[in-house]
Amino acid sequence: MPFREINSKMVEATVVPGQKMFSQRGAMLAYRGEVAFTPNIQGGQGGMMSMIGRRMANEATPLMTVEGNGTVMFGHGGHHIHVINLSGDTLYVEADRLLAFDGTLQQGTMFMGSQGGVMGMVRGQVTGQGLFTTTLTGHGAVAVMAHGGVIELPIAPGRDVHVDPQAYVAHHGQVRNKLSTALGWREMVGRGSGEGFQLELSGSGAVYVQASEEKL
Amino acid sequence: MFRLEGSKTLAVDLAGDAVKAKNGSMVAYEGQMSFKKMTGGGEGLRGMVTRRLTGESMAVMQVTGQGTCYFADRASEINLVTLHGDKLYVEASNLLCTDAGLRTGTTFTGLRGGATGNGLFTTTVEGTGQAAIMSDGTAVVLRVSAQYPLFVDPGAYIAHQGDLQQHLQSGVNFRTLIGEGSGESFQIRFEGEGLVYVQPSERNTIGGNV
Repeated sequence: MPFREINSKMVEATVVPGQKMFSQRGAMLAYRGEVAFTPNIQGGQGGMMSMIGRRMANEATPLMTVEGNGTVMFGHGGHHIHVINLSGDTLYVEADRLLAFDGTLQQGTMFMGSQGGVMGMVRGQVTGQGLFTTTLTGHGAVAVMAHGGVIELPIAPGRDVHVDPQAYVAHHGQVRNKLSTALGWREMVGRGSGEGFQLELSGSGAVYVQASEEKL
Repeated sequence: MFRLEGSKTLAVDLAGDAVKAKNGSMVAYEGQMSFKKMTGGGEGLRGMVTRRLTGESMAVMQVTGQGTCYFADRASEINLVTLHGDKLYVEASNLLCTDAGLRTGTTFTGLRGGATGNGLFTTTVEGTGQAAIMSDGTAVVLRVSAQYPLFVDPGAYIAHQGDLQQHLQSGVNFRTLIGEGSGESFQIRFEGEGLVYVQPSERNTIGGNV
């Protein structure tokens, strides 16, 4: 089910019978046709265990299931929306940035510590992302929200990208990330450049960066 | 070497040279970069004291390296300005990034500052090179020539360049005094030859409230 961008802050999705779709609860703006919205207590796919997992991981955003026959428009809080098409790879994104995604995508929760050990956990804390993040795998489209416009930066071997943790939105592909610090005596005396921490992304894939350093 | 990536992100290609940018405005970079805070806006001790005294303090960092650096700040729209030896007047809070070769300083703006809510001083950028200024919404560039003076709402003014004189003028009348003002009691009048940058949004100003 592809998303069609109406403008930078609204997307339209086509819903056909037999295909489910998930969206953040309350993000529907308008719809045409016969479409039903059911609150999803489990907060996504995967049954009871996944739900408990998400609750514990604090990655449980209220989601709803969208089913039926018609078109639905989504938007939330005046945030910019960026549509990412996945073809078999995995997207890593914060749960509260997810606006809507295809039901065909496999949703999961990833522990930050599994990527980079203790530093991964520190990374989560520093970036304000917590210890867990949401993953989406498979073929389909995802609409993510960001404050300000989004730019996509490709990552290739030998072309590492450094991102300000506050401006990081999502990434996909075979990407390893680690927190790099550039702390010197200047930071210690309160004369820092404000760029003391950076996320270093290497591998092959892409990272999405927003034009702002504000959280949603 | 400054280019826009969308309308809200500035990409700067660096090959060993340096740029000055607002502290903390980097969102991403490729290659090798180092960030160093420049105390007092990078104008030495005298500049630092001046900025402290005038309230035009700006936290600036120097970015040096090889590669591409991306800057953005609170989803503001970015406008590129090219300077050929002339002077750009801009509020410190609206200045995002300048070539390291450009000199920055402070200047007294007179009575205008009080009504714009910007304070009595403003920042100047001069030399040859590029600068990036920020606006709330897409800015329009208005040309001022000798025959055509321009009137600007103090809250919507962001920057100007060229040989311009500015005067604050008020349209205060008895209606304003009884609280029936139109909210447009003060304007800045620009005369001369130059360009004025105006944003489609108004800051809260003393002038806008009467």
